[in-house]
Amino acid sequence: MDILQTLDAIWLARMPILHGLGNTILISLLSILMGTILGVVVGLLLTYGIGLVRLIVRLYSDFLRGTPVFVLILACFYILSVVGIQLSAFQAGVFALTLFCSSHVGEIVRGSLQAIPTGQTEAAKSIGLTFFGTFFSVLLPQALRMILPTWVNTATEIVKASTLLSIIGVVELLLSVQQVISRTYLSLELYFFAGFVFFLVNFTIEKVGRFVERKVALPT
Amino acid sequence: MLNNLLRLGSTALVCGVLASAAHADKLQDVLDRGHLIAGTGSTNAPWHFMNESNELVGFDVDMLRLIAKGLFDDPDAIEFINQSGDARIPNLATDKVDVTCQFMTVTAGRAQQVEFTVPYYREGVGLMMMADGDYADYEALKAAGSGVTVSVLQNVYAEDMVHAALPEAKVDQYDSVDLIYQALNSGRADAAATDQSSLSWFMKQNPDRYADAGYGWNPQTYSCAVKPGDQRWLNFVNSVLHEAMTGVEFNTYAASFEGWFGVKLDPPKIGFPIEFK
Repeated sequence: MDILQTLDAIWLARMPILHGLGNTILISLLSILMGTILGVVVGLLLTYGIGLVRLIVRLYSDFLRGTPVFVLILACFYILSVVGIQLSAFQAGVFALTLFCSSHVGEIVRGSLQAIPTGQTEAAKSIGLTFFGTFFSVLLPQALRMILPTWVNTATEIVKASTLLSIIGVVELLLSVQQVISRTYLSLELYFFAGFVFFLVNFTIEKVGRFVERKVALPT
Repeated sequence: MLNNLLRLGSTALVCGVLASAAHADKLQDVLDRGHLIAGTGSTNAPWHFMNESNELVGFDVDMLRLIAKGLFDDPDAIEFINQSGDARIPNLATDKVDVTCQFMTVTAGRAQQVEFTVPYYREGVGLMMMADGDYADYEALKAAGSGVTVSVLQNVYAEDMVHAALPEAKVDQYDSVDLIYQALNSGRADAAATDQSSLSWFMKQNPDRYADAGYGWNPQTYSCAVKPGDQRWLNFVNSVLHEAMTGVEFNTYAASFEGWFGVKLDPPKIGFPIEFK
């Protein structure tokens, strides 16, 4: 393993690799952001939805969680274009990851809300709070603290899943590194490099998550 | 109710078929659009890969540029769709690309899903040795019997593949292409066996260091592919490729061939068409 040769290859291809990293970060940010917003709605409907609505959302969540992300990405890219919706590879990929993220966030939200003792809701009602008042002043602040660690976990999963977008031709970090490998034959060295960069991205997310956790923790 | 749904479905289907029949003139569509949408990969030298200036280049890319040149007299009137090997057939089926040239092996199974053009390359497995190594050529390797070690990419068929050419040779399997070359460099292997095109490209990158054993086997044909059902478009792409190998664009084809595989092609014999010899 020639380290200088590897560093030289990485330096020479720094612009495409940075572009790939930028794409990975953009894909992850968009998917996590939209997936979280959609996921909170899913979680609320799973917890408080009635009858048919709840059944439909339950099917949505179970179906998405039970499908490999890979299949989801292919479906969003090809099935949508068969029915006449032409999304670019980037858009289709972000859409697929958003759906995947929303189903996971939905379950996290539902679990957290259901973990809060019903006594709290009853107490809130007894002092005359409305449903929204109860939710925003009593339930949500407590639920958020429980959601955070698992949500960070889901976020790192999305970053890793973004590599699958290379199959439909989105040049994210992994594909941009593979392009360098095909020219330089430095496969082990450069895959190690890609793995290290992914670790750095996820380590940062985890650290930010821990920081926020400490900030919102109740004083003991 | 069910009947109504079925009727609605079949009407939609008929409309769809009629619409697509009316639209099945890809050549005109591409001309109207003003550029070719071409599918190929970006991670396999010398077929389709990013060079040091981060431009997509390779033999497949040159073939696609020839098609663009034939259409618009401009080899740059082309939009490349980056696709993985698995995406070649689906991207044609869903009209995401007009044509795919991506070292696609012609098989009867695939020919039921896409329409293949005339071939533009014949791939096979070759043997590469060190130029100053112990063996002169394929005959010498074969004569050495079990004294020869061949490095090869890990594969279910790897052992059988090597033994088809060198029945007694010892076979060492490796995970990646760089490792089979490394085995040769370090003397762990006497020859490396992989696609002839990869070997040719690698030898061109490292002149005088390696030697070709001069034997190829396991032939397979590389063709471009188009969506089935549009004979005019298929004919057009066929004409471009055919004339690249035998006619007015021969020099472009030959320059590309020499650039990627290091082999100088003889021009087709003038007079009676070689195709009918």
